[in-house]
Amino acid sequence: MAAYLVIFVAGFAGSFHCIGMCGGFACALGRDPQGRGATALRHLLYNTGRLTTYCFLGGLAGALGQVICTRQGTTVPLLHGPLDSGQRILAILAGLLMIAMALQFFGLLPRLHRVTAGSGGSKLAASLRSMLTAPGHAAPLAFGVFNGFLPCPLVYAFAAQAASTAGALHGFLTMAAFGLGTFPALLLMGGVGRALAPAWRQRGVWLAGSCILLLGLVTVGRGILPFAAHFAHGHPA
Amino acid sequence: MRRTVNGEACAFCCYGCCIAYQVKNGKNEEWEAAWLLIRLGVGGFLSMNIMLFSLLLYTDAFSGADAEMLPWIHLLLWLFATPAVIILGGPFLREAWLNGKEGRLTSSALIVLGVGAAYLYSAFAVIDRAPNVYFDTASMVLMLFTVGYYLDAVARARAARDLQPLLAAESEWATVVDGNGQYRRPVREVGAGTLVRVRPGERIPVDGVVKEGESHTDEAVVTGESRQITKEVGSHVIAGSLNLDGPLLIQSSGAANATRWAQICRSVRDALICRSPSQRFADSIVGVFVPIILMLGVGSSVYWAQHLPFDRAFLIGLAVLVVACPCAVGLAAPMATSLGIGRLARHGCLVRDPAALEALARTRLIAFDKTGTLTSGQACVAAIDSDGIGADVVLAHAAGLERHSEHSLARAVGAAASARGLEPISIRGVRVVPGRGIRGSWDGQTVAAGSAVLMRELGWSLASNLAERGRLHEATGHSVIYVGWGEQVHAVLSLDDTPLPEAHATVEALREGGVCVALLTGDLPAAAQRIAAAVGIESDDIEAGLLPEAKRAMLERRRSNHGTVAMVGDGLNDAPVLAGADVGIAVGSATDLAREAAAVVLPPGGVWTLPWVIDVARAVRTTILTNLTWAFGYNLIAVGLATVGLLRPVLAAAVMAGSSIVVVLNSLRLERLPEPVPSAAAESAPAPRSTTVPVNSEALQAG
Repeated sequence: MAAYLVIFVAGFAGSFHCIGMCGGFACALGRDPQGRGATALRHLLYNTGRLTTYCFLGGLAGALGQVICTRQGTTVPLLHGPLDSGQRILAILAGLLMIAMALQFFGLLPRLHRVTAGSGGSKLAASLRSMLTAPGHAAPLAFGVFNGFLPCPLVYAFAAQAASTAGALHGFLTMAAFGLGTFPALLLMGGVGRALAPAWRQRGVWLAGSCILLLGLVTVGRGILPFAAHFAHGHPA
Repeated sequence: MRRTVNGEACAFCCYGCCIAYQVKNGKNEEWEAAWLLIRLGVGGFLSMNIMLFSLLLYTDAFSGADAEMLPWIHLLLWLFATPAVIILGGPFLREAWLNGKEGRLTSSALIVLGVGAAYLYSAFAVIDRAPNVYFDTASMVLMLFTVGYYLDAVARARAARDLQPLLAAESEWATVVDGNGQYRRPVREVGAGTLVRVRPGERIPVDGVVKEGESHTDEAVVTGESRQITKEVGSHVIAGSLNLDGPLLIQSSGAANATRWAQICRSVRDALICRSPSQRFADSIVGVFVPIILMLGVGSSVYWAQHLPFDRAFLIGLAVLVVACPCAVGLAAPMATSLGIGRLARHGCLVRDPAALEALARTRLIAFDKTGTLTSGQACVAAIDSDGIGADVVLAHAAGLERHSEHSLARAVGAAASARGLEPISIRGVRVVPGRGIRGSWDGQTVAAGSAVLMRELGWSLASNLAERGRLHEATGHSVIYVGWGEQVHAVLSLDDTPLPEAHATVEALREGGVCVALLTGDLPAAAQRIAAAVGIESDDIEAGLLPEAKRAMLERRRSNHGTVAMVGDGLNDAPVLAGADVGIAVGSATDLAREAAAVVLPPGGVWTLPWVIDVARAVRTTILTNLTWAFGYNLIAVGLATVGLLRPVLAAAVMAGSSIVVVLNSLRLERLPEPVPSAAAESAPAPRSTTVPVNSEALQAG
């Protein structure tokens, strides 16, 4: 349970970076001429779409991890429980990826940033063009769904974490926590976000980076340390 | 960060703003593609939820203590699946319904039946608390089909974007300048004399004269050739050409929706709506295919139900229905055809009808008219022989008649008259006598100009020495016009018609492409021989002295030898012949009648584009055939696999979508067709001859 809380916080902190990346979209989604209630609804739908995509990706990643590692039945709760070698490898890989993402947040890996941020973004963006201007409620929802697929290092990091849980349910929960964590900042984009000075944004990025780094280190540790099994709490072997 | 977006350098504070800017400020895709995308998004939202929970179910996240949650999860799935099936499946249902009312079974019927069956079965399973539900199958199949349709719409939008300047000619906006300033007006409201400002990169919306500024333009859309042409103050510009590098202020010389470019655009729009013969053929096959697949699907379900649990048998039947969907067949021809037509239109070659494109690909014989098609059509009056009347008077009479005719020889007469500063006399009641000449009345007398046959028919006397001169000129391959009034032939004009420099290369290229070339002309044999030799047509492929009906009969005869025949022509004489050929091709500034009868119109002076047009037509035909072969071939194999039970429905849908993508990508290869290249053999036309003739005649220096 504590783990999910950490992820939620990471999501919240990271969403300040998200403002930099995806905030432009929230601005572009803009105001609904029918007033503040309608605007709020638009943003709510947008974020719901995003959340759904993240949850789906999480479940998929978790299932993938499960397929790679586990024999039938045992799922691996976060941070605790018995592990076999497949899970260890997955955990190490996921942890390394998360550490790389975190370092990127600290500005230490500039080339990686170009790779993750550049590829595929503009093609998808071109398709999203018309959805911004379409009337009705379907468009923001659809927009959010596709937005969730945009290349974003935060999402990758947590998807990797989800994969390492080697279980569809836990993968889903991981990404759900992350997604919910990003809700507040992006919902408030219209008001608070723009008022937030870049300095705060930077601090948010550092906070997110630290959370991700921490989680990454823990995940790697789960993979490497032989006494990880000692943390089992009576789960079936 | 700095990025270049759409050719302009911009600075952004973050990557998100860059993408948001791109998203907001690009050109809009076609609306159909956009709505499909929104539908995909909402459908995706619902489907992802369904898939997520199905995944959780599948990985037994709810086993053990949570087992009693199972029916509730199924209910949840049902709750998500209902709107998904309605939203995604709605268009398919509507299409199936509309087709069904016409008595046609199409692929949408298969989709509706398959998905509907899966949904209903799963709904009953929820009510009966059966262990397996297939809402995920139903929604994923719908998603994949919608993705296929979306990709098709995007590809068509891409092809349409090629055509966008052509299709938008009349709804485009022009920047009009007048005393009060400048403002945007729809192009169709621009009339003669209006000043229009055109920025670099914009298309010039009107024919006109440059008043200010200098630039280069690309006139490929009307001449076929992509070349940079310098334009400065006083230069003429053509509507549809692209202004390349400098701003121009243009005074329009006519109504904007009467330009050649506007006509091309209208024609292209109409052409794109027609269905080509291949497509109709494919549709008729699909009409038979679908009921067979339906029976096959139901049959395989019934068969397998005897060996497997009903679930699995049902899934096998569903897979058969889904994989056999002939969606790729529907995509096979239209995109290739529109890309081909668009390509041609961008170089000023107009194809009115996809059937013409297909016929052109199959053409084995092309018959050319002589005057104005293979020859420059800019004949010059080489000599005037008269029976004592001054050459100026003769020319004035002749010009008065000929200015009502669009025949190229008529223009030569007009040019000769204006070169001498003569005022053509005004003649009333002008009537063109097809194949013979033109007549009218002036000052109570009948005035006529034309062939010796016309003079004979009018019963006018022809002085023997004039007749002698006429025959002499004809023997040397000139065209001859007799001019007379007051019941007598007064003069004979001899005109010199030179072959187009690129005609020879064009005929060569056509022959290399496996197409036979023939010359059908109403002109005299000697003149025909002269031009044919210069251009490279064998003498036994020449038919001269033909009246229009005879030309048509000759084409019929050739058709029995060669199969599909095309006729290239120009002018009033050729209209019925063009209508009688399998493909009628008019060149450039053809008269209205010829243009209506011609399925293909080449730009003025653009006969050199003909080999390229045939190459494009053949490429389109090849693409259509490969697409159809692929679509049917893969279908048969895939149906076989599905009947045997080797394909799950979702995989079947993915395979089906993949096949559609293959067809679309194959058609998009047509975007890489090469541009037309004017042949290298553009020697300058030989200088026109002028002869002096002793008997009361005057020789004119040509040009």
